[in-house]
Amino acid sequence: MANVKFAGGFAMLKSMLVAALLFSFAATPGLAAEWSYTDGTGQTVTLDHVPNRIVMHANTAAGLIPLGIRPIAIYVDSPVAEDKSLQGLDLSGIEIVGEAWGQIDIEKVAALQPDLFLAEWWPLDKAFSGLESGAGSTNQQILKLAPITGPTQGDSIVKLIGDYETLARSLGANLDDPQIVADKAAFETALGKFKAAVASKPNLTALPVWAGTDALYVAATQGSSELMDFAGWGLKLITPELADDRGYWETLSWEQADKYQPDLLLVDNRSDTTMQTAAAQPMWTSIKAAAAGQVTGWPAFWLRNYKAYAQALDKLSAAIDGADENLTN
Amino acid sequence: MPARAGGLLVLAIGLLAVLFASVTVGARPISLADVWAALTTVDPDSTTHRIILELRLPRTLVGLLVGAALGLSGAILQGATRNPLADPGLLGIEAGAALCVVLGIAVFGISTLSGYVWLAFLGAGIATVVVYAIASMGREGATPVKLALSGAAVTAALYSVTSAFLITSVTTLDQIRFWQVGALSGRTMDILWQVAPFLGAGILLALTTGRILDGLSLGEDVARGLGQRVQLSRAYVGFVAVILAGAAVAACGPIAFVGLTIPHVARAMTGPNYRWILPFSMLLGPILLLGADIVGRVIAPPGELQVGIVTAAIGAPFFIAFVRRRKLAEL
Repeated sequence: MANVKFAGGFAMLKSMLVAALLFSFAATPGLAAEWSYTDGTGQTVTLDHVPNRIVMHANTAAGLIPLGIRPIAIYVDSPVAEDKSLQGLDLSGIEIVGEAWGQIDIEKVAALQPDLFLAEWWPLDKAFSGLESGAGSTNQQILKLAPITGPTQGDSIVKLIGDYETLARSLGANLDDPQIVADKAAFETALGKFKAAVASKPNLTALPVWAGTDALYVAATQGSSELMDFAGWGLKLITPELADDRGYWETLSWEQADKYQPDLLLVDNRSDTTMQTAAAQPMWTSIKAAAAGQVTGWPAFWLRNYKAYAQALDKLSAAIDGADENLTN
Repeated sequence: MPARAGGLLVLAIGLLAVLFASVTVGARPISLADVWAALTTVDPDSTTHRIILELRLPRTLVGLLVGAALGLSGAILQGATRNPLADPGLLGIEAGAALCVVLGIAVFGISTLSGYVWLAFLGAGIATVVVYAIASMGREGATPVKLALSGAAVTAALYSVTSAFLITSVTTLDQIRFWQVGALSGRTMDILWQVAPFLGAGILLALTTGRILDGLSLGEDVARGLGQRVQLSRAYVGFVAVILAGAAVAACGPIAFVGLTIPHVARAMTGPNYRWILPFSMLLGPILLLGADIVGRVIAPPGELQVGIVTAAIGAPFFIAFVRRRKLAEL
């Protein structure tokens, strides 16, 4: 309710105010602090007050919690401990209303009486996280409780973080908070080091992969926002041949694993087991970079804030600094 | 009799041809000269040689043993239960193996194929004992119908627990999905050494069960009249089938249709005599499995299709066509 800010007032005054608001609402909508947000598709969500009971998808929480906007509940695509984007964040007091992809506990959410849902819009799926086709059939019912909005997934994590800053500011965040300023400064420093590392190795090429026992999957740069960032900052990523234009990956039989020969291998680190699986394949070392130990993690699809991004860039810079750029040509 | 022996010889030659193709054909074109060089003068630094020795040879040998095991276990299970639709999926063997592998990943963090082998074995064994124990309740003991019902019920129960784990852990799902389709790719020599003793012993034991199966297939009363101890016979052949199917599913994951289809093809070639059905199934199994694997290797370059998908795609229409042509219930 819009009168929440007046909670300290006298009860009588409060109820009179409510009555007054109800009567005057249609004529003077601007009386309360109205809030609105326009997502990447042009859809605008308008509320009659700044929302403070927000349920978020885990990735959105990872974008907003460091900016001082805390959800009352989150739904996660996996058990919380396995979600990379949430690592290192203080989740105390936040209710978990889903711990599997496409699963949202609608009853728990309803009991929380949320006034807004925030998630990312995926242009290819034409859906917000959690409402994809194939997700739980009852998930759409959250829209009966409150509207959903959020920034659009695009071709840059930096831009996405910028969108989160705009969103956070509209929700009342103070972005001049010393911790937030420090996180951003740390990112700028890490980015400077990354660009310098890349510039010092002009011949270095990198290949982002995911490894299974059945095949090696090579990622398309344009399929991932952080890879687009890296490429924009000068890192030469090898572009795989995609079987079709909606694909994110080229599938290589392990017999074909040496099709591309990068100087540096970037292994999807959403799960720690991917690196183990890769190392256990006999033909992993047919890739020269693997044989030479020029392998590092690829923070695939989960970076949402400056702090995590700075840490990821520092690791990449160290790997680039340590790599022989002329391992392959 | 000579016709059947001749048939067996033809199949043996066919199997040799498939084995040859399995080593020479793959996702990466490798010339016969290079294959020969890899097998004779090994250069450990040559990627080509390593592909032959570390990828194609192990998957071919695993495919040979697993194909034979699936064919034989299918034949034994169909004979022992007198159920034309019996296969390793029927008695909870695959479901038990799958649950144990999922538990191993989700609870104990096991992530290597060679680690899955023992889990799958354990699960297959436990599930079969449970299925048999449930089927044995009541006065008439473990009849074929009760075995089939008990197997179906236990399978459903096991898969529901497996699903509960999978939908709550993306990591587990990521790892299990390659195992669960059934594949020969990624099978290295250490997996072969782990399962080869069980598969080898199981295959030898299976070939001795022909007389028992011939007796059982006449029906319980006739078999008893012929002097067989029916419960003991059934327990023995069941034990052999579990070793075969358990080791096969441990090595490759559940592979559909081979165990179901092959005995019917063998029966069409030999008639109802299990002393012939068994060796025919033993040769036909790896021909189908490796043949399907070879198709999967070349159909989606530069990737591969897992053999479980290919056998399902080939097996389903083949089986339907087969069922329509013959009266399957003649067991």
